[in-house]
Amino acid sequence: MFELSTDVPNLQALRGGDYDAFDALYLGDFSCPDYPKNFSSHPETLAEGVRIARDQGKRCYLRLYAVPSNHELDDVRRTIDAAMGLPFDAFEVHNMGLLRVLREMGCTKPLHLGVFGNLYTHETARVLKDYGVTRVYPNPELSLREIRYIKDETPIEVLVQVHGKIPLVISETCFIMENAHQGAETCSFFCSKSHWLTRSQGDWSLKDAGRMTLSGKDLCMIEHMDRLAEAGLEHFFVHGHGEERARVAAVGRAYRRVLNAIAGGEPCETQGLVEALSAFAEMGLCNGYYFESAGQHYVGRP
Amino acid sequence: MVLMMAPGGTEEMARAVLAEGADAVYIGVMGWSRRGAVFEMSDEQIRRLIDHAAAMGKEVRIVVNTMPSSTEVPMFIERVRQYAGWGAAGFMVSDIGCMRLLRDQVPEAQVHTSVGCGITNVEDVRFLAEQGATYVVLPYRLSVREIAEIRATTGVGIEVFLFKTPSGGKICPGKCMMSSYFSFKRELDEHGKDLFHGSAGRGGDCLRVCQSHWRLNAGGVSLLEDMTIKSNPALWLEELPAYLGAGVNCLKVPGRDRSVELVRDITRLYRRAVDLILSTDNPNLSPFAEPLATCRERWRTERGRRDVRLIGQAEQIARVMPKVA
Repeated sequence: MFELSTDVPNLQALRGGDYDAFDALYLGDFSCPDYPKNFSSHPETLAEGVRIARDQGKRCYLRLYAVPSNHELDDVRRTIDAAMGLPFDAFEVHNMGLLRVLREMGCTKPLHLGVFGNLYTHETARVLKDYGVTRVYPNPELSLREIRYIKDETPIEVLVQVHGKIPLVISETCFIMENAHQGAETCSFFCSKSHWLTRSQGDWSLKDAGRMTLSGKDLCMIEHMDRLAEAGLEHFFVHGHGEERARVAAVGRAYRRVLNAIAGGEPCETQGLVEALSAFAEMGLCNGYYFESAGQHYVGRP
Repeated sequence: MVLMMAPGGTEEMARAVLAEGADAVYIGVMGWSRRGAVFEMSDEQIRRLIDHAAAMGKEVRIVVNTMPSSTEVPMFIERVRQYAGWGAAGFMVSDIGCMRLLRDQVPEAQVHTSVGCGITNVEDVRFLAEQGATYVVLPYRLSVREIAEIRATTGVGIEVFLFKTPSGGKICPGKCMMSSYFSFKRELDEHGKDLFHGSAGRGGDCLRVCQSHWRLNAGGVSLLEDMTIKSNPALWLEELPAYLGAGVNCLKVPGRDRSVELVRDITRLYRRAVDLILSTDNPNLSPFAEPLATCRERWRTERGRRDVRLIGQAEQIARVMPKVA
């Protein structure tokens, strides 16, 4: 009935993580081709990755690099070429140009639009369906009301982030290298350590992942899952980029418990789960834009 | 033919840039462009400016580049059909669905992709051309050679901003939601358009939170203090002959939210520079260096004042907590 998914950047994370709570895995880090052994830029790792995920009974999607420049298109083509013959269930695309590339390469796999695909309207979703897109991840700025409209009026599958830091901006170069390690010519995986941007007044925070800036607070929708289900939403995503594996596993278990209760028509007390998830969130929790406010607010709480 | 477009943030500015030699003026529709209401136009003003430009043998291009809600799409189409009927020559658009509707329902219109489309490669350009784009804005970081190849292989018109960010970095606008993450207010105007105040993509002003004072730390160790998150673009000129040689056929003077005096002076400078470049094989641009430097400094000063104002708005809006859903 429901699909709960998360992201896994490379084989090391796939082998070392506990993904029991999840139905599907998005393999790869779409933001940075230099992320160590990133599935998205290391085609030689794909066969093993999809085998491990399949052996665990997971649906398995491959994320393609989100902002390829002209000179990076051939690298992406090589990744696609290697993946087309493997049992991936879909490719995730953020870049419109890649929709054309996939069509030209004869790709017949379903395509998912990623978060930086900038989807705001059902009319755009209809255009994307013509290119083989079967699932969309609406821009995080959309409210639940708007997301539901797109799902119903396109119609199309919609992936909704329910937990984790919100991707807010993507870069073609590494912010951490450019600023904190000026002069470094090669990536030394500086982003393995959490980098935080905090406003001097101390009131606002962001997490910087190098080529992607994330919300400081953790989006948390666990006490609203019944509402999402009532809206007909079925595909839920936990954003795990840069988080410890144990934390992603614990978050997944919490959401699985709630989804199982909803599927079984049983009540589920979420207050304790909110408290538990809050303990993981260094900068607190937020509801994103779902309730039509600024992304950093947790509606109804201070 | 190189089309030089200049901004009409106000009616006075629009008339000034046309008088200074712009071939077209681009103006934002109230609630539908990526600027605050004071730099957008009412329908009455838009119609008056279309007539004014036509009398001069010039054009008006309409900025409707916010990302709307799905339910606002019919309103979008109604508005662009109206402006096309009044004689507007083209439209700047970000939403791909709206772009395709525009192509199908107003086929005579020129369609400019807005910077909000976030193009990074030639395949993006081809995709947008399939949706009806007749001009695309390319990212600052593309080389002259890449621009020439895109122009030659796609046939799409190439538009460049006459200001650019010197380095790489965050893709802004187009793929940035930092402003609305901190400060975002939804409110309907008298036409029923949601203004999405605080969203760089959806509404009026980006509130420039990236230009506030930030600290970068890792593992509890402070790495940098008092930094901005993104560098700012600057006016440029030196590479213009190469860009025009590469086939760039639309130049966009920035500054819809700057002073009339500054935008008028910038338009005058670029008009003269472009005319010189187009009239000779080896243009000497050195006489423009000093006035360009002056314009850059005035630009920087005005931008600083604007950023302080917008960050203040962001702080004010952010203090208002949402109600329980």
